[in-house]
Amino acid sequence: MAYSDKILKKSIDPTVHQMLARAQELGLETAWDRYEAMLPECGFGELGVCCRNCNMGPCRISPFEDAGPKRGVCGATADIIVARNLIRMIAAGAAAHSDHGRDLAHTLLMTAEGKGGGYEIRDEQKLQTLAAEYNISTEGRSKEEIALDLAGAVYAEFGKQEGPIRFSRRAPRKRVDLWQKLGIDPRGVDREIVEIMHRTHIGVDNDPVNLILQGLRASIADGWGGSMIATEISDVLFGTPKPTRSLANLGVLKADEVNIIVHGHEPTLSEMIVAASRDAELLALAAKLGAKGINVVGLCCTGNEVLMRHGIPIAGNFLQQELAVITGAVEAIIVDVQCIMPALGNLTGCFHTKFISTSPKAKFPGAIHIEFHEDQAYDIAKEIVRGAVENYRWRKPGQVVIPDEKVECLVGFSTEAILAALGGSLEPLLEQIKSGAIKGLAGVVGCNNPKVQHDFGHVNLVKELIRNNVLVVTTGCNAIACAKVGLMLPEAAAQAGDGLKVVCQSLGIPPVLHMGSCVDISRILTVCAAVASALGVDISDLPVAGAAPEWMSEKAVSIGSYVVSSGIFTVLGTVPPVLGSTAVTELLTTGAKEAIGATFAVEPDPFQAAQLMISHIEDKRAALGL
Amino acid sequence: MEQFEGPFLLVDPQRCMGCHTCELACAAAHTRAGSIIGAVLARERLHRRNRVVQVDGVKLPVQCRQCQDAPCVRVCPTGATYRTETYTAVDQARCIGCRLCMMVCPFGAIHVATTTVAGQERRAAFKCDLCVNRLGGPACVAACPTQALSLRYPQQEADRASQAAARQFLRSLASQPQLGS
Repeated sequence: MAYSDKILKKSIDPTVHQMLARAQELGLETAWDRYEAMLPECGFGELGVCCRNCNMGPCRISPFEDAGPKRGVCGATADIIVARNLIRMIAAGAAAHSDHGRDLAHTLLMTAEGKGGGYEIRDEQKLQTLAAEYNISTEGRSKEEIALDLAGAVYAEFGKQEGPIRFSRRAPRKRVDLWQKLGIDPRGVDREIVEIMHRTHIGVDNDPVNLILQGLRASIADGWGGSMIATEISDVLFGTPKPTRSLANLGVLKADEVNIIVHGHEPTLSEMIVAASRDAELLALAAKLGAKGINVVGLCCTGNEVLMRHGIPIAGNFLQQELAVITGAVEAIIVDVQCIMPALGNLTGCFHTKFISTSPKAKFPGAIHIEFHEDQAYDIAKEIVRGAVENYRWRKPGQVVIPDEKVECLVGFSTEAILAALGGSLEPLLEQIKSGAIKGLAGVVGCNNPKVQHDFGHVNLVKELIRNNVLVVTTGCNAIACAKVGLMLPEAAAQAGDGLKVVCQSLGIPPVLHMGSCVDISRILTVCAAVASALGVDISDLPVAGAAPEWMSEKAVSIGSYVVSSGIFTVLGTVPPVLGSTAVTELLTTGAKEAIGATFAVEPDPFQAAQLMISHIEDKRAALGL
Repeated sequence: MEQFEGPFLLVDPQRCMGCHTCELACAAAHTRAGSIIGAVLARERLHRRNRVVQVDGVKLPVQCRQCQDAPCVRVCPTGATYRTETYTAVDQARCIGCRLCMMVCPFGAIHVATTTVAGQERRAAFKCDLCVNRLGGPACVAACPTQALSLRYPQQEADRASQAAARQFLRSLASQPQLGS
């Protein structure tokens, strides 16, 4: 079918075109429509020069030399305001990831105490490894006893007053020394976030460099603390991901089954939804109501979690959440936290779809709230699934439009799975990097943003990198974008450069490795740290680079900051709100190199962004004498 | 006669930040409370007579150009839209909300919305009146944080432009002495 240029410009994904045309037909609005209605967006906001931190304002700084205020009421300059705003974004992002980690620590604690309603310790090997890292004795103890100590130790990382955060010591010695020298080695996860809020209160820290350093410290507490805890504990409880085949894109919804979407970020409830969807009683109920089965599919990072661990198909990334509902085939969209559009309330009201919120932290207008508690996890999940199944009878078959597109993918490359694929040691990978068959590694991650053509930046950046023999590891919405275009199949090796192609073919792996949800960027840190330690260098010496081509969330700001703080050059595809301050912009794009060995760059064009990353990788290779 | 030609709002797109402050100031200036917060507290309706738009990445406010031979005046069947010596005005009491003025305005500078006229709720046309009743001139000009807006007289503008052109011409002459010799 032919679509208008306006629709075609919004995405490169044919399912998006089809569903946007359908939305137009039904008179429904989506994020793209609301973005257009928002234009023009406030230039002061875009530059990051407005401050609402106290009530003498709101203040804003004019970027024109000859007109408008140059200082806020308190005297804060653009440099101060931009730095404060930026690190407040880091605080919010780090808080989101870390709260996710805390909730998993809580689940581990309840499970260890025997109060987890249906959870068990699935990866005992990982439990043992983590226990050793925390100096918890394992000799002759049951897994519950070990888990109880581990949960306590991990829990304590959040409220700690003095460091170090245990997992941060996975970073190479040189990196930790650098953090200590700069005074940015994080003490406790919560402490660094709280300190940002204190420092950015009226009249506290007004030195842009000092502010940014605290931002970096909190971001390290996120990447090597909260996020890494979330990843590791998820693996202990739900199993460490292994290569699994699945399907991606809206075509995974089924016309003749009860469709349940799990959306948000945490695996805790979705694990139980998956289990409940296999409950014989509920399957029988579905059959009685005329459905051929119960089809659980994922969206965003909750989707990535169940995709990686159970091969549950994924319906799409951030900007496809409304489109999934517009198919008219969704009995329930079950959400937990983060990246859930409040627009779903109104939208689901136009269909039979039930919008169910489950986290005590997140309620939405128009949603049914069924609060999730770990101690009755399975029972609650079963009730939610039962509601979805019963809702099937209200589906209007005439309103159902499901796109055909779904693409196979091979996912589940946790650090452990990559090691296993390499035969148990990093040595083969290092050999390929040394020989030049693989030029280097790139972590490409991040959200979608209606400011740019959906998936265009993600897919083209990744394709360009693999064509140039850069092995790509990915998480979050980028991973979903790659899955949808077949880049996560071993056959995609054909699209890689000659060196990478041979490596992928001999190992039977795709040139783009799915490492999980956005908290799982901690896995990428672990891989980089292991490679650096194996070579006896710092992460900043490695031929690696990072990118977030379509980022939008505060979590992405925290992620970008911890990736750069870890020594990895990072290219952003959408402009962060810092350009109002030359000092902060220069610090992030050049000055940081001397201090932490890495910088940010901003490049909206994915082909040029790839070139920046490739030339950075070449420079690092040359410096290592490769 | 020329010097009596009415003023108009001049927009400098290079200075517009798209912050919508002019829209809020416009709406506030036309309330009884006179301020956004006051109007919100008093539950007054807020109507802006200007609109910040974005075209190909460039932002700028659009409002009535105060046309001399205004299509809105010509089309109005009730005489609600009329021309004074200095600007194009709307008398909401005579407006029947037919939207003909909206249709013919080449700038999209007129809109019809619900308001209270003589104690009654009805639909009526809104357009920029250059804040003729406001001391200190247009509220949007006063509020713009980057001075992207200014109130200008056509003659004044023509003078400024011809002066600038003349200066440029003389400067280029001075830089080419061979022309003078």
